[in-house]
Amino acid sequence: MRTAKLKVFVAVLCVLGIVLAMSGCGPKRPEVVKIGVYAPITGPAAADGLAATNAAQLAADKINEAGGINGTRVEILTYDDRFESASAVAVAHQAIERDGVVALVSGSYSTPTRAVAPIAQEAGIPHVAGYAVHPDVTAAGNYNFRNSFVGTVQGKAGAWVAINQMNAQKVCILMVDTDFGRILGETFQAECEAAGVQVLSADTYPYGEKDFSALMTKIKGLNPDLLYATGYYAEGAAIALAAKTAGLTCKVLGMEGMDSPMFLELGGEATEGWVITSNLNRDDASPVTQEFIEEYETQFGIQADMVAASTYDAVLIVCEAMRLGGFEPAAIRDAIAGLQNFQGATGLIQGFTAGGEVIKPVQVQIVEGGEFHYYAVVDDPAIITPPN
Amino acid sequence: MVIQQIANGLVLGSLYALVALGLTIVYGVLRVLHVAHAGVFVLGAYAGLLVYVSSGSIVLCLAVAMLVCGFAGFLMYRFLYRPVLGRPALIPLIVSIGTFMFLEDLYRLVMGPYIKALPLKLSLPGLDLPFLRLTGQQLFIVGVTALLLLALWWLMKGTRLGLAWRASAQDMETAGAHGINTDVIVGLCFVIGSAIAAVAGIMVGSYYNQVYPSMGSVPAYKALAVIVLGGLGSVPGTVVAGLALGLAETLTMVWVGTILPREAIAFLVLILMLLVKPTGLLGRAS
Repeated sequence: MRTAKLKVFVAVLCVLGIVLAMSGCGPKRPEVVKIGVYAPITGPAAADGLAATNAAQLAADKINEAGGINGTRVEILTYDDRFESASAVAVAHQAIERDGVVALVSGSYSTPTRAVAPIAQEAGIPHVAGYAVHPDVTAAGNYNFRNSFVGTVQGKAGAWVAINQMNAQKVCILMVDTDFGRILGETFQAECEAAGVQVLSADTYPYGEKDFSALMTKIKGLNPDLLYATGYYAEGAAIALAAKTAGLTCKVLGMEGMDSPMFLELGGEATEGWVITSNLNRDDASPVTQEFIEEYETQFGIQADMVAASTYDAVLIVCEAMRLGGFEPAAIRDAIAGLQNFQGATGLIQGFTAGGEVIKPVQVQIVEGGEFHYYAVVDDPAIITPPN
Repeated sequence: MVIQQIANGLVLGSLYALVALGLTIVYGVLRVLHVAHAGVFVLGAYAGLLVYVSSGSIVLCLAVAMLVCGFAGFLMYRFLYRPVLGRPALIPLIVSIGTFMFLEDLYRLVMGPYIKALPLKLSLPGLDLPFLRLTGQQLFIVGVTALLLLALWWLMKGTRLGLAWRASAQDMETAGAHGINTDVIVGLCFVIGSAIAAVAGIMVGSYYNQVYPSMGSVPAYKALAVIVLGGLGSVPGTVVAGLALGLAETLTMVWVGTILPREAIAFLVLILMLLVKPTGLLGRAS
């Protein structure tokens, strides 16, 4: 009898021990969760790399200050892709295999991001691109998402603004010879032609071009009432200066590549009155946007731009998905795919399409007094819903 | 509009000529392809930027940048080229390319990767006619190029220094045997050529309002195309070639369209010249 009692006692102890042990690691709640953020920290796009990594850290700090994700602290690991595919591939493997990140955020351009997308897909790690626009990024599979507008959405939105807000009748188009610049310019052109707006010229220029005097003289001779220009901030500023030098007086519509304080600094007064399509509305009343803009400027001493806001939101999206779905990569993916009406710094993210493309309004900003301000917003579902 | 486009081409060509002028002087006397000249050009832009931002004076900005670059040019000659002068022409060329790459990364480390604005405030009147419109800055660029061309021409043709330069360029040993201190002459060429590069750097940086570490990489080979086209070591030839290249790029862009990037035109010119005159580039080695 004594031995039987002892056996029962030991058995109870064992069960108790197991239960206690299980409750200890309990409903799986890790102390720290790692998100990998890669960006062009060195190389020709280093300014964007810095903006992206700063913004990602700011997003994580904000979440951690508020107690983390259900008590779990977010750690951002940053990687330098040097604006190259090869380096991007290397750091993606490093992040996933060595450092054990549960999600990847791209704070980089299309070229590095489209190289990482298939790696994330194969490893089953959710991958959210902040502002890379190439279709291949999301085409790599269902673990890939994009928090910026595909080229066609922004091109369509640009045409809508040109026609309905800026009353363009005769337009000239100037596009940077990259996927990004061409898709926007060509979509803009097709939309204008479909709407009966006369397209007087459509020229391309190589990335990094500095001298626009010949093109501006040509455009001035055509006498358009609107110039649509695609490019990045350095080219955008050079276009603005050359347009002023040539005496071009028509309205100018740019795009998110020019959404940078550098555009305003390098282009100076010549950028005054420029309208751009972007995804950051500086005058958005939402506290998420206002707090982001304020904290970013206080902490880093430079104005927030499209790159910073987009990367910030990409991190927020991953964290929100973790809050909803837990910390397993597959669960995070499902939660991102199911996300609805999430308020980010770049406005209300309505959700993602089956193809991983974000659905949210396109913001239109105007340069006034050397700053970007609200000009319009494009929220027509027919324009802002991505094709897949 | 044609007149305006020709004027656009001439302004662009003046910038090319400015970058190439200093290179011509060095090439003429030493027969060394001084690729690092483009690195001196960037140094000039940064030196000008720093002085202009702190002083606001254009004269001071040009003067200090010319001094700094002239000194840098002297150092390059004394410590980089002179030790390898007797060697085959490839060795100074490799030294030069290595120096240029080193300088680009040095600027990136010291000044940061960002593009900086250089908004020189020139209170010069512009030209505003119905068929031609040039800003004060554009006129300034053309004027400075013309002035430097004339000054160099006078220096070469009208002074004893020019005589010594031409003698050394024709035959360094014979010139030395006749009592010319060729070492001093070559050193002076580097100083003068580099000071001109400083002017070019400030002109280019302020015209496009962009100064950045890699702003010398396109001029590095474009200036080579210009001096090859201009007849290797000929000062007026360089200016004519610079203007011709600027015009060719501008007019192709207008009439042929932007199918052919402008950088390709300089390369095409370079290739054509090499086909026509294959011994041109590495000169005396053959």
